Amino acid sequence: MINTTSILFNLWTRAKTIDLLSYLANLEYDTYMNWKIETDEIARRRTLALEQGGADAVAKQHGKGKLTIRERISKLLDPSSFEEVGPTAGTGIHNKNGELIGFDPANFILGFGKIEGRRIVVGGEDFTMRGGSPSPAGLRKSVYAEKLALQHKLPLVRLHEGSGGSVSGTSGKGQSLPDPVNSPARFRSVAEALATVPVATAALGAVAGLPAGRLVASHFSVMSKKTAQILTAGPAVVERAMGEKKTKEELGGWKVHTKNGTVDNGAEDEEECLIEIRRFLSYMPDNIEQLAPVIDCEDPVDRAEEALINIVPRDRRKAFDMHHIIRSVVDQGSFFQIGAGYGRSQIIGLARMNGQVVGVWANNCKFLAGSMTADGAHKARRFMELCETFSIPMVSLVDEPGFMIGSQAEREATIRHGTAAVLTAAMTTIPWASIMIRRSFGVAQAAHYGPEGFVLAWPSAESGPLPVEGGVAVAFQREIAAAPHPEQRRKELEEELAARQSPFPRAEALGVHDLIDPRQTRLELCRWIDRVQPLLPALLGRAEFSVRP
Amino acid sequence: MTKIELETGGSVWKVLAKEGNQVAVGDTLFILEVMKMEVPYEAPIDGEVVAVHIAEGDVVEEDQLAVEIKNQN
Repeated sequence: MINTTSILFNLWTRAKTIDLLSYLANLEYDTYMNWKIETDEIARRRTLALEQGGADAVAKQHGKGKLTIRERISKLLDPSSFEEVGPTAGTGIHNKNGELIGFDPANFILGFGKIEGRRIVVGGEDFTMRGGSPSPAGLRKSVYAEKLALQHKLPLVRLHEGSGGSVSGTSGKGQSLPDPVNSPARFRSVAEALATVPVATAALGAVAGLPAGRLVASHFSVMSKKTAQILTAGPAVVERAMGEKKTKEELGGWKVHTKNGTVDNGAEDEEECLIEIRRFLSYMPDNIEQLAPVIDCEDPVDRAEEALINIVPRDRRKAFDMHHIIRSVVDQGSFFQIGAGYGRSQIIGLARMNGQVVGVWANNCKFLAGSMTADGAHKARRFMELCETFSIPMVSLVDEPGFMIGSQAEREATIRHGTAAVLTAAMTTIPWASIMIRRSFGVAQAAHYGPEGFVLAWPSAESGPLPVEGGVAVAFQREIAAAPHPEQRRKELEEELAARQSPFPRAEALGVHDLIDPRQTRLELCRWIDRVQPLLPALLGRAEFSVRP
Repeated sequence: MTKIELETGGSVWKVLAKEGNQVAVGDTLFILEVMKMEVPYEAPIDGEVVAVHIAEGDVVEEDQLAVEIKNQN
């Protein structure tokens, strides 16, 4: 309407001052040679797109303590670095004269941007429109996110809040045309992205159905404890199908999903989620053809922490703090833990040694004695796949008593998940350094050593087919039972066998590269990373296996 | 009120906390035995032990409520 009025006004003023012929020539020039009308409309559409679902919907989003997708993207990225892709995708609304009176933007925002000066691809559902359930253009943009990241070989960040398809279809009229039989596999690009570029995701509000699937199809995922729930299906669908009446929070809040491994990390709020993603990406290369970034290291490589000499108690029943060992060994402040809430017998994270990125995997003897549980094995397997995919060397701090045992462990198929971890380790090609801190037993211990890895042992190291306590009870059952003082005999046998598990004979047989003073661990690992770093370029490119959720 | 819940199952080896006792941050409240390892649980706050729900020798489960401490303030 505005455009028509302005043309008429223009026409009237010009007609008054110039002769008609010259005016008509100008009109022809204006109308056919100048694109002002269209560029004005483009500008208007852009402005309308920035309004998202409208002032009320945005206020409602804020009222629930949540940011909009545009605010999230802007907080994630370096200032003014967002280059939007498809801002004019959506649906124009016209009056009966064909004039634009409104514009519904696609409800998925997509684009390039920078984190610490490094370019990434970022996208996320716009919950202020259709509750994030995809509109036709929204769906196209959302699917395009992986393709863009793959094409440009850039890390991908997805910020999720939304639900999946609706029975009314993307058009809202139940008329979505089904895909043709020869259309490419829908999730191929999602899987390809996991094998090619780092993918980090966040759940920032309710994430259900397809977006929930995309959330976990990542190398690192984090959820906001304050605002997010992750749901395969929401409460209404669950109640209808299962008769189970639960709130969103009960079904899929952080207490459920940080403990079962659906997400890697839980963060207090949205902003902390974005900080975690920035931190995760700081350890990652842009893609599988590049090496992880190396930074200057201010922490002396020969920093020897005195506490390490007595951190492992001589009494084998007494636990120690593996987190303290990790902190003492890696570059100061560089440990970024992943999956602290689940599979807790295994500690996983990224860190730096002399400025170079390493994966860190350690047993936590304070949780189920550090044994390999089903979820711990799953966590470790995914982490090995991540390191293998991006050619990141692994530092393994070993205190492995074996697979978790007992009826619950049997119900959880521990042996299958555990063996998967063992075989994944056996197939890796990245350099490994394994430090035998204390126990290294059973089949499970094999998962902590990579092929042709560098192995050092602390004086507290013990290894064998199984820990003496369990082993003695089985192997010497009759002898113990027949002894005049069975309990005493059992203890004697345990001491005798424990002595045989000492690391000295192992070192004599070159069963380890060296026996070391625990205080020298950092120095030894820094020397190792400097030795293996030149080998990494040869590992770049597609790994033999990739990351599976 | 601060509730100390068990992070894993196991058996209760030693209980040091007693109802009515004052405890300080870091004091050992009780020790579980899990997979032949001693797992001490420490007081996360200064305060008074108002309830002890476990006893030595008990076989316990994950998430079970063990001790309740009332904040000193």
